Amino acid sequence: MGLTLPVATDNTHPHPAAVPAAPHVRRQDIYDAIVVGTGISGGWAAKELTEKGLNTLVLERGGPVVAGESYQTEHLPPWEAAFRGRGNRKRWAEDYPMQSQAGPFNEYTAHWYVNDRQHPYTMGRGKFLWIRGYHVGGRSIMWGRQSYRWSDLDFEANAKEGVEIDWPIRYADIAPWYDYVEEHAGISGEALGLSQLPDSRFLPPMPQNVVERHVRAAIEQNFPGRTMTIGRSAVLTQNHKGRAACHYCGPCDRGCTPGSYFSSISSTLPAAQATGRMTLRPNSIVHSLIYDEATDRVRGVRVIDRETKEEIEFRGRLVFLCASALASTHILLNTRTPRFPNGLANGSGTLGHYLMDHHFKVGARANFDGYEDRYYFGHRPNGIYVPRFRNLDARSQSDFLRGYGYQGGAGREGWGRGAASAGFGKDLKERLRQPGPWRMSLTAFGEVLPRYDNFCELDATVTDEWGIPALRIHGSLGPNEEAMRIDMAAAAAEMLDAAGGQNIQQYTAPYALGEGIHEMGTARMGRDPRTSVLNGWNQAHEVPNLFVTDGACMTSAACVNPSLTYMALTARAVDYAVDQIRRGALRV
Amino acid sequence: MTPARTSSQSVPSGRKPLDHIDRREALRRVGFLIGGAVSAPTVSALLAGCSGRTSSSGPYAFKVLSPDQAELVATLVDLIIPDTDTPGARSAGAHEFIDKMLADWLPDAERDRFLAGLAGVEARATTAHGMDFIALSEAQQVALLTELDTEAYADAENRPASDPPFFRSLKELTLAGYYTSEIGASQELLWMAWPGRYDSDVPVSDVGRAWA
Repeated sequence: MGLTLPVATDNTHPHPAAVPAAPHVRRQDIYDAIVVGTGISGGWAAKELTEKGLNTLVLERGGPVVAGESYQTEHLPPWEAAFRGRGNRKRWAEDYPMQSQAGPFNEYTAHWYVNDRQHPYTMGRGKFLWIRGYHVGGRSIMWGRQSYRWSDLDFEANAKEGVEIDWPIRYADIAPWYDYVEEHAGISGEALGLSQLPDSRFLPPMPQNVVERHVRAAIEQNFPGRTMTIGRSAVLTQNHKGRAACHYCGPCDRGCTPGSYFSSISSTLPAAQATGRMTLRPNSIVHSLIYDEATDRVRGVRVIDRETKEEIEFRGRLVFLCASALASTHILLNTRTPRFPNGLANGSGTLGHYLMDHHFKVGARANFDGYEDRYYFGHRPNGIYVPRFRNLDARSQSDFLRGYGYQGGAGREGWGRGAASAGFGKDLKERLRQPGPWRMSLTAFGEVLPRYDNFCELDATVTDEWGIPALRIHGSLGPNEEAMRIDMAAAAAEMLDAAGGQNIQQYTAPYALGEGIHEMGTARMGRDPRTSVLNGWNQAHEVPNLFVTDGACMTSAACVNPSLTYMALTARAVDYAVDQIRRGALRV
Repeated sequence: MTPARTSSQSVPSGRKPLDHIDRREALRRVGFLIGGAVSAPTVSALLAGCSGRTSSSGPYAFKVLSPDQAELVATLVDLIIPDTDTPGARSAGAHEFIDKMLADWLPDAERDRFLAGLAGVEARATTAHGMDFIALSEAQQVALLTELDTEAYADAENRPASDPPFFRSLKELTLAGYYTSEIGASQELLWMAWPGRYDSDVPVSDVGRAWA
């Protein structure tokens, strides 16, 4: 592959090789682009850059993952798990004290999560859960696969309410890019025509079971404007682009050899590989970026080899940070130069601030009678979704800003119910052979407002074994979220009650920021370089060949799962960057 | 030959759930479908799973329970989940699972409380009948467990969750050990690595038993 980008020849934009490497480090080839991270955003950046003809170096701080061979617990029956699915609790307490608090962490998935002792972070004000997976594919292997478009309700909210700064984009800017990524990724779901939750280009939806259909009908009848659809999920309901339809084994996050759910491993990295222009380098921890003060350009990255601890510099004309919200910001904070003493591209002082998540662990559950003879076949890796219904218009106003949606589902109770009441022997065994009562749960996921005092910074006192200072994270919910949580539990109970639910239990469990594993913000997009890090193209205002397209870019959080939006923003940013370079508007 | 089977006889839609042989075929089809994306060693590894990929050799070596205690626990778990048309909890090794939980999983305080609970069962047997629990007739054993069961759930609301009655803890561990065993999950209940499809509404009789 020859050079695919025009090389600047004037003096203000020297060839990257003209920036000398420190004498003790190895020098590498010069790439057209460098992508940091291989999760959902990094995989998309790798695919788009290579497909547009750029020789691209893709860096991953963790080890390699090979489809199938690395999925050590795929289809593993419980009797072959050392602790029958309960996990090695004593080891978790030592090595995974934070990661093991995450909902998806269990005996079958623990190997995907980082060892907290090896990868420390610290906390200041409040408790923050930073849940991570360091390996090729990142959290795209363990993600929940729920995929929702944002709407103008979300993009306009900050401006309309006077909360922080306005988004520099609107739905119309991103809509074609949703189309584009959905076509490749494969999103199953049901079209509803709702303005607050625009439809994707859907593969056929998974069906709802009898109790979900019952509750849906009751919600639609009793609460005009509300509905309950099937989750919109990046799981294939039919064969799609060489990937097989779901076989309904259930626990996707152990890995899926047929590639039936979207991950970097099943989808984007193979596409990038197929171009012949991707160099994928695992075990490459990015320490910081190489910045050329004279030209306001990044010239590459400083990497520490995870295994050998060797320091290596890689040169590239374009850098895409896709390491995850906090990790990308971590790299920027750790890149300190005379011009940017508080972190690269941080002239605004907002880098690290406005950290968000989705707050949850609140809702209601109920039993439903009347369907004792009905059951389901197979394990649907998906639940229901109740789209946001609060604060859509004048009729749906509340005493808090923004809104929430519900995820959940109905199922029949299993053998675990046996210890909840008296009885033993043959009768108990016969009873537990049959499916138990139907139970429906609704768990709300709500928007967290951007706040300056939810932030991360470098911790001067703690470094990891690669010599990189740890992140210190400050985070908590504010009064708007607390008010929303009261409504989240009550509204769930009201809907279950209207549907005839029995034994209705509202619940509100303690939630720590980050626990939703939807961390967003800390390098937000905006129109004004004085109040934001990135412009409307995910491009650093102050460093034009630097793009950040993961969750760090988010200016507000909406209430829907964010990954689909990262995919669309990444593809859009790559298209813009390459177009700008080719037209000569962006000198690299 | 019987007449054509009705829908109550098999899983719905006339489609058969994948048994192990079908699963092999399905996996081969997958390998073909996504041609080359799954390496031959991967397919072999997955197929190995069809016939059980690990086999623990030799008898289980108890780590916490003494031989007498192990025999007592084996007797208790089999009273809770006995042999019927499928093997019960003893055959499924639920007592071995409990020993492993005591040794490697439960906090020391909970382990000690469990062992004290076992001693309490023996004390009741001795007080009532002057014999070890395992020496009692099955009717006597059932009567004694009925007492424990009734007491355990009688004051359930007033008991702190941190201090569950022994019999409830025993029952929880027994059910966990049994229904996650190969016998409990795949013979007593329904466990499938590769259902192959999702039907959202089928008669219970078509599935036959609860999903494991």
